Amino acid sequence: MYEQGIDNQTQRSLAEGVSMSLHPAGLAVRTSAYLFDFFIRLVAMAAIGIITAMLGKAGGGIFLISYFVVSWGYYIYFEGKNGQTPGKKRYGLVVVQDNGLPAHFAHAIIRNLLRVADSFPFVYALGIVTVLSSKEFKRIGDWAAGTLVVYKESTVDLNIDDGGEVCSPPIQLSTTEQLAIIEFAKRCDTLSEARQVELANVLAPVLGDIEQPTHMQIKAYARYYIGQSVSSTRNV
Amino acid sequence: MKQNQFIQSKSENWKRFEAHCNQADNLPSNFPTQFRQICSDLSIAKTRNYSPTLVQNLNRLVQLGQTHLYKGSSLSLRQILHVFTRDFPTALYTTRYYMWGSFFAFYGFGLLAFIWVLISPDAIYHFLDPQSVNNLESMYNPSGSTQSLIRGADSDVLMLGVYIFNNIGIAFQMIGGGALFGIGALIPLLFNSFYLGAVFAHMLNVGYTSTFYSFVISHGSFELMAIVVAGAAGSKIGFSLLAPGNYTRAYAFKAAGKQVMPLIVGAFVMLFIAAFIEAFWSPRDIPSAYKYFIGSIGWLFVCYRLYKGVRYGT
Repeated sequence: MYEQGIDNQTQRSLAEGVSMSLHPAGLAVRTSAYLFDFFIRLVAMAAIGIITAMLGKAGGGIFLISYFVVSWGYYIYFEGKNGQTPGKKRYGLVVVQDNGLPAHFAHAIIRNLLRVADSFPFVYALGIVTVLSSKEFKRIGDWAAGTLVVYKESTVDLNIDDGGEVCSPPIQLSTTEQLAIIEFAKRCDTLSEARQVELANVLAPVLGDIEQPTHMQIKAYARYYIGQSVSSTRNV
Repeated sequence: MKQNQFIQSKSENWKRFEAHCNQADNLPSNFPTQFRQICSDLSIAKTRNYSPTLVQNLNRLVQLGQTHLYKGSSLSLRQILHVFTRDFPTALYTTRYYMWGSFFAFYGFGLLAFIWVLISPDAIYHFLDPQSVNNLESMYNPSGSTQSLIRGADSDVLMLGVYIFNNIGIAFQMIGGGALFGIGALIPLLFNSFYLGAVFAHMLNVGYTSTFYSFVISHGSFELMAIVVAGAAGSKIGFSLLAPGNYTRAYAFKAAGKQVMPLIVGAFVMLFIAAFIEAFWSPRDIPSAYKYFIGSIGWLFVCYRLYKGVRYGT
């Protein structure tokens, strides 16, 4: 159930009898989302500060109450509502339960109160360590609440747009294997010709008789697997 | 069936499903059926090894459908009250050992500090620096100006802000910091118990009882008991890591998080009530007898409800 494929996705079995894949978000993108949220909170508090400064002593009280609400309630409100703070929304992240279902307010409350533990002793040091040392990038709050931060659309961009030849493969491959073929084709841009040949030749015995060099052939298969049809591209 | 045929026969359904998800406020009554259909399509696509793009797209639809089908209820005052009146007592019962531990730690050590300072008045300087002792004395001096001055409504609001920000913030920090093996909960709990015990004794020593005790009695019931609840919640989370019992640590930690959720809401509501009492009722310039009377009722009520929760879960 928790096996991880080549694309860093985790599988979750659903009650509906199928397993769904989730793509946990790593440290870098979550830090970016955090900083974005931090900036929003900063601006909000500055605005409230300016307004309440004009209201004298009572304004001070209102400022402290709003500071309390913004510092504790911001995450709880947004994550409880639809799993996305503005920062997470911007980076396409969402908080879900361990089993892939949407997070509720109860999860958001636990998850965000435990930021205290995550930020111990300074700048989220403990949280960073726990994120980096767990398979699904969970910080302490995520462990306690049973939540995950995942990419909302787990669409790894599979498009190859080079207008090359499309060829239907002679043997049937599983989805994961097809994915490996596509990943290879996508990565060819960053590989030297010699390295491409070297990698592709591993498959040569399996593919058998083919009319062009193996790496070209595999790229043609990749185009087929991402959904380009054999006949239409031949006319181009 | 070839992949293309499969897509052709189903794509109409997929588009309709996605359109339903996008205007989420009124889902059709057969939405669950449609969702199951999508799930079935995904499993067909997977077992037949259809192309990754198709699988990924269906996976996205399943994820989308789930967020609408299994959405939690929205946050409302009614729900908070429901958790406070129904789930909070039950959670008190399930965490009763932690509640008792936290209770005796807080009041036991508080009593020790109280007795110590009562016997040797200079011991107050073990707990507080002279500056804060002076501040406290001037604040509660019966002949001084602070108490007799009629406080305006604006400083009441200011103090309300201070109490909410400060007290609820401390309680939340105790609960969150408790995840560090309970240390983050116990240190503030013990610190506050020593501090308060020493201050109570010192006020008795210098004879400022009429102002100090009449001030703290009203909100003290909610506030001091909420600290006990927060201490119990924090240590419950932390100790689940130290002694997970028959579970794995990860599972015990998660289960503890779920169990203390109502305690968090409970401590929050109690401190919220306490902040209002402290800001608007406690400083009122009325005969102390009223305050003692109302305050005692508050203590009886809070202790009775908490005891019922811890003992019977109601």
